[in-house]
Formats: sequence, structure tokens, C-alpha cells
Amino acid sequence: MKTTTLGGLGAAAIAGLLLAGDVSAGPERVTYPANFETGYTLYNQVDRLDRKRVRSFYVNREADAAAKSDAPLPDGTVLVMADRNAKLDAGGNPVFGADGRLVATGPVTNIFVMEKRAGWGESIPAELRNGDWDYAWFTPDGSLKPDAKYKGCFTCHMSRVERDYTFTYVKRLMDAGR
Amino acid sequence: MFRRTTSLLTLVLPALALTAGTLAGLSSQALAAEYVVTMKDAAYSPAAITATLGDTVRFVNDDGETHNVFVPTLGHALDLGKQEAGAEKTLVLRTPGQFEVECVHHLSMTMTITVKP
Ligand code: HEC
Ligand SMILES: [Cu+2]
Repeated sequence: MKTTTLGGLGAAAIAGLLLAGDVSAGPERVTYPANFETGYTLYNQVDRLDRKRVRSFYVNREADAAAKSDAPLPDGTVLVMADRNAKLDAGGNPVFGADGRLVATGPVTNIFVMEKRAGWGESIPAELRNGDWDYAWFTPDGSLKPDAKYKGCFTCHMSRVERDYTFTYVKRLMDAGR
Repeated sequence: MFRRTTSLLTLVLPALALTAGTLAGLSSQALAAEYVVTMKDAAYSPAAITATLGDTVRFVNDDGETHNVFVPTLGHALDLGKQEAGAEKTLVLRTPGQFEVECVHHLSMTMTITVKP
């Protein structure tokens, strides 16, 4: 089994394997959520004011129905972050809607996914491991972004270990009293 | 009263908004206010602000490490991006209500902003 083979390797070497696209641990095992815009629940929107971009957040319905903020998220949870450009004026400055929020325009440009499956974390080096989550970055045609790096996904989301490694979803459950 | 006049001017003459920001420190009454939040020792200070729609918050990273301004609250959620030591970022308060600010890197670093209409 992969885990034993990796046991003797250093973190850097293992991260290298992850980046190289080892199917047993890495983005290839994350399913592209083709129907996220129609089949998933939209639960938040983050204005990336620094990048003039609008991010929409979706969760698969089965997981959302069972999710609670004080328990680990269900096995099979899929969280999707879809980026679109913000509408700009002639001077290149963002246009704000009546609600004071950015206005998304044009097609989805990037799709970031985190998916949780029992046992997935076992093939991730301990110092990078985010429970049983794995990460993937897709282009709009559903293929993995060729030059994507994945180590940063794990290290940055690590700061939200108390919220099952999520920045937006578990916080949304907390705020909704769920 | 004064505030209402200022907001109106800001709306009519966008160029004045800049002036308002610059002068806010000198004359807090007559112009849209600017609040300053610092980040020393990985803590937002002050930890709570009550402001008015159209006011500005200037986040100053006076700490030695990278911080950030991330808002997870529904209807207010935003991210100003990575803020290295010494860097400043400005947020115009465009949506009334109350929201939380968190640092992407430090979960213990939080503050609350209330925006009155
Ligand atoms: C520098 C820190 C950082 C890195 C690196 C990072 N993320 Fe995130 N991620 C965030 C933040 C912060 C949010 C909330 C949205 C925002 O503020 O832009 C987020 C949100 C998400 C979400 C929505 C669920 C949630 O946690 O809120 C997904 C899915 C996601 N990221 C996937 C990825 C993937 C895939 C990668 C690597 C290719 C990655 N992230 C790298 C910080 C990071
Ligand atoms: Cu911080």
C-alpha cells in the first residue's frame, strides 16, 4: 500500500509526489463537480476586492443536509469555490451593486474544489494532512489546471483545523446556528 | 446632519471622496470618517468598530509578520488579500449591518465591524 512505501521518505519528497500527480494522493482523485451551478447549494459569496474577482461557494446537497458546525463534516462533502470577474467601469474600477457588493460578470474562470473521503488523508504526509480532505484546481472545461501547485492548499487551510479546514463553510453553519 | 451632507457630496462628486479620506484625521465631524485598525502582536486593535455607511477603515499592519483581512459573514464576505509587514489596506464600508473580520493566517485574530445605515 502506498502509505508504507512513503513512510521512509521526507516531507519534501512526498510533496513532490503530490505535485507530480500521484493518483493515489492528489487532485486526480477529486471528481470534477460538473453540475455545481445547478445541483449544489450556493452558500456564500466572497468579494476579492484585491483581485477584482467574485468567488461563489457551493456545497453538495447530501452533505449540506447532514452538516453540523460542532461535528466533522460528513464523508463525501464537496466544497466548490468558483471565480468570476467583477464588473468594471470604463476606468477599470469595480462597479458596486445597490447592496454595496461586487457584481460578477462573464463566465466562471477557475474552479477550486475540496473533497472529503474516508481514508484519503492517510496518503498525505502528517505535516500537510488536512483530515481526509484533498484539493483540486480545475479550469472551466473540467480539466485540472496544468501548472497548479497543491502544497499551499494544505498549509493555508491548516489554519482552519478547528473548522474542519474550511474558511467559509463551517463558519456559515456556525453563523446560521446549525 | 453633517454626515448626511458629506455623504451626499461624496455621491455627487466622487472626486471629493479622496479629499474626504485625506482630511478625515483632521476633521472627523464634517467628513466621512476614517477608522484605523492596527495588527500588532497578531491582534486587530480596536477589536470592535461602529461606523456609518460610506466611512472607511484603514488596516495598518504594524506587526512583524504577514496578516490579512478576510470577512466570512454572509452578505458582507470579502478578502483584501495578503498584507505583509508594513502594508496598509483600505476598506470602504458599503453595506450596512454587522460582520466579523478574521485573519486568514491566524484564526485567533478577529474583530467586529458594525455599519449603521
Ligand atoms: C493563502 C491561503 C490559501 C491557499 C494557498 C489556498 N486557499 Fe483555499 N481558501 C482560502 C481562503 C481565505 C478562502 C476563502 C475565500 C477567500 O477569502 O478568497 C478559501 C476557500 C477555499 C474553498 C472554499 C471552501 C472553504 O474553505 O471556504 C476551496 C474549495 C478552496 N479554498 C480550495 C483551495 C485549493 C484547491 C487550493 C490550492 C490550489 C487552495 N484553496 C489554496 C485560503 C487559501
Ligand atoms: Cu494574522
